[in-house]
Amino acid sequence: MFKMDHIKFSFKLFLVFFTLCQLIQAQERQEFSGPMKIGPYIGKAEYTFILKDNDTILDGAFRMNQSNLDALLKNSDGFFSFTGSFDNGYPDGDWKFQFGEFQSESETEVVGYQYRVKVSGTQHEATGNMVLGKPDGNWTYMVTEIENSEVNKTLFSSTVEFDQGVPQKSFRIENEHNSLVGRFLRNGLAHDIWTLYSDEFSDRSENWFFNEGALQKIEYNLADGEVITKKVASSSNLTKVIDLDERFINLLKINQKEPDTTVVFQKGIGELLTENSGYYRGLDTILSALGKSEFMPGFKVKAAHFPLDSLGNEQLQSIKTQYARVRKTSQSLLENTQLNILRRSDREAQFLYAVISKISEDFLNPAEKLVDYHNQGILEFIPTERLFDNVWSKGIPSKTILVQGEEGEQTYVGPGANEFELSENTITSVHQLIQYAALSIESIAGKLEEKLLKESKQQELVALEEKMIAQSNHIGQVLDSVKLGLSKREREALESIQNLADALLEKYATMDGTGNKTDFGLQVIDCLEQLDGLTIAVAELPNRWANIQEKYQDDVWNPFMATVMSEEVKKRISNSYRSVLVPYLLEEIKSSLSCDNVTKLKALLNSSYQRMLEMREENTSKLERKLRKEQDPEMIIQLFNLKSSENE
Amino acid sequence: MKSGFNRYTYIAILLVLFIKLPQSVHAQEVLPSESKLKDAKTKIWFNTYGNIRISKRLFWDAQTHFRFEETEDTPFIGQIGQIYNRHAIGYIYSKKINFSLGGVVRINFNTDESSTDRKVVPEWRIWHQYQFAQPMYSAMIYHRIRIEHRWTQGFEENSEYIYRNRWRYMFRAKVPLNNYKLESKTLYVSPEAELIMQSGKAVVGSVMEDLRLTTTVGYILTPRLTVAGGLMYSQGQTLENPGVFKQNWTMRFHVYFSPDIRKVKNKLPAIHFND
Repeated sequence: MFKMDHIKFSFKLFLVFFTLCQLIQAQERQEFSGPMKIGPYIGKAEYTFILKDNDTILDGAFRMNQSNLDALLKNSDGFFSFTGSFDNGYPDGDWKFQFGEFQSESETEVVGYQYRVKVSGTQHEATGNMVLGKPDGNWTYMVTEIENSEVNKTLFSSTVEFDQGVPQKSFRIENEHNSLVGRFLRNGLAHDIWTLYSDEFSDRSENWFFNEGALQKIEYNLADGEVITKKVASSSNLTKVIDLDERFINLLKINQKEPDTTVVFQKGIGELLTENSGYYRGLDTILSALGKSEFMPGFKVKAAHFPLDSLGNEQLQSIKTQYARVRKTSQSLLENTQLNILRRSDREAQFLYAVISKISEDFLNPAEKLVDYHNQGILEFIPTERLFDNVWSKGIPSKTILVQGEEGEQTYVGPGANEFELSENTITSVHQLIQYAALSIESIAGKLEEKLLKESKQQELVALEEKMIAQSNHIGQVLDSVKLGLSKREREALESIQNLADALLEKYATMDGTGNKTDFGLQVIDCLEQLDGLTIAVAELPNRWANIQEKYQDDVWNPFMATVMSEEVKKRISNSYRSVLVPYLLEEIKSSLSCDNVTKLKALLNSSYQRMLEMREENTSKLERKLRKEQDPEMIIQLFNLKSSENE
Repeated sequence: MKSGFNRYTYIAILLVLFIKLPQSVHAQEVLPSESKLKDAKTKIWFNTYGNIRISKRLFWDAQTHFRFEETEDTPFIGQIGQIYNRHAIGYIYSKKINFSLGGVVRINFNTDESSTDRKVVPEWRIWHQYQFAQPMYSAMIYHRIRIEHRWTQGFEENSEYIYRNRWRYMFRAKVPLNNYKLESKTLYVSPEAELIMQSGKAVVGSVMEDLRLTTTVGYILTPRLTVAGGLMYSQGQTLENPGVFKQNWTMRFHVYFSPDIRKVKNKLPAIHFND
């Protein structure tokens, strides 16, 4: 009885738990269907996912595709279709990738109730199984050329067997003309002979001999039975397991003593492996965008290892940072437009420019290569001797830099040259070399900057002077053009303005080029600008007076003549302006004009005219009373309520 | 009772005067077989003309003239002849047409050096005037009709007033000389001709009292002030004998002024009479 109850209870508990799980599952799992973009692929996607901490984690079936009939019929269609599934964010299970570009052929046929359009183009297709984001089992990648909806030829094909991302047993990679076969150990290390043979010529082949991951030699069997063997000497006791990818191929090229000129195959083993890993990377990009994936060929080799000691590593870091800085400085100098103009006329600038150019070529370009190797991660696999042969093929440059100039050779020796020892083929030597280059470039940059600054200052002065002359000329022109129509007072005022302008230019001209000549030049320009304005204000006086006279008229009917006559009105105001204020200002200009009061005088002339125009309309009876017999110009300025600066 | 008597007495005297005067004072003299021209007298007049604007359409016409004439020793300005005060209220119909109505008091001085009569007698007038202006090229021409009702008396003791009407028409032109129109700072020349006819019981044959031919040169100082001067020749029948003509050469000097005593706000607009 008790036992029966216990079972019932357990069953109930299980039911409740099960339902709860279902509920949670149902709540968390969601479906998506809509547009999606992965890198260059834009299409319609359908997938299921769960939300975890606001992150979308794909879980379950995934499908994304795109094809466009309109585009296909018009021109060509870039299509794709990716199907597979995820498990908690990891690509898992069977996957199929198809993409490419098709053009439609003109031929169509109707089969059943469907239109069939034949297409031509290229298609990539990859299929295989994934386990936890890694390839597992057989993976094939095919690139085929399609013509009239049929496979015309296989452009590329690779078949690799994986065990949780580690390639197993043997693989096969083919292209149009050649086939590569090879095998691995269980841990993915290349082993035995990897052979690339030509499909067309049975006697040609390229063979890479591996022994437990270590590449021993490469053999080329040529058409006429000739065999070229390249031993890959392992000059180090240390080895390290690395991926057999582009980097390793690069490394092989660097480690070849002489550049490999024999082209045996259109695409050798290296190229074929690179192509394959390129395709794998393309798929990895797609998968990584969706979840956690490591989709790579995983071919491993053992490479001779030449690790740097801690000092070497430190020096390398220092080389990298210094290289970056010096390169930036030298580059900016070489591209400096001002310098490029200056060096045409300045011999020293030309010499220094040539030195920078030489340092860039002999010091920096090789250093760049070295830094690049380090960034690629292959530096530690290149024997020192090979490295220097490769990077400084002409040998480590001399501290004395020879430059071919117009008058023969010139030499440049950088600062503290004695303290540097560049002859050895060591990282220390490279470190010294880059330091020497840095010091030299910095020293040259300092000299050139001074030169450029001087030059730009000179140009600034030239610009200032041009402006000054233009302003002074303008004053002269205005003066000449109005002189005849002016009164003696006005003429004298204008002459005073021109005298001041001339005096300013003369003072400027006699200053020596150092220090505050620019500042003074700017002041002169300011003053000339104001003087120009004042000139115009004075030159305008007759016109302005005519305007005022015209405005200060009222039409009056004369009963004796029975005609309408103009009558001057507000005579006291116009008299004050004409007979007191303007003569006073002109006298001021004539007798005490300076850069300090030019603005004020100009403002008074201009604002008095403005006020005259305004006062015509205003009720001025009080003002007119006050102006009676007023002969003090300062008083009139006050009564007119004139502004003596333009900002007020 | 007393005032009534006085009034009637006054009217009676007036009536007697009017009826008797022509017969007693101005008994007709015999007409000569040919008209006689008296020797010309020389005179000089100083005239002021005021035209004082008092409202949009009304003005006060105020003229005061000082008229001198020759003596035996001194031509032109030997003695005072008349002091003449003419006033009126004028109405501006338009810029070109105006009318006036007013009175004149003239003080006549006895210029007959041999006379033993009264030295000074007053003369009274009521006058009205119609003036029309016309622009013509740069000049202006004016037509002036002036009608005066005039009471005068002789210098004899107890001489009685005689009543006459004067009918005057003046044609005048003003031609700017240094300008294209009459405005400030303009010199102008003004020829004029005025015919003065008269009528009344005392006027038997001497209907042409005066024909005045004048040429004046003037200068407009401001719209409100003008000065002018000129020479006038005039002749006309003597009242005593229509066959005898008197004649004069008169120098005339004028000041014309036209102040506006309106407040500023009433002046505007100054010239738009038809608003």
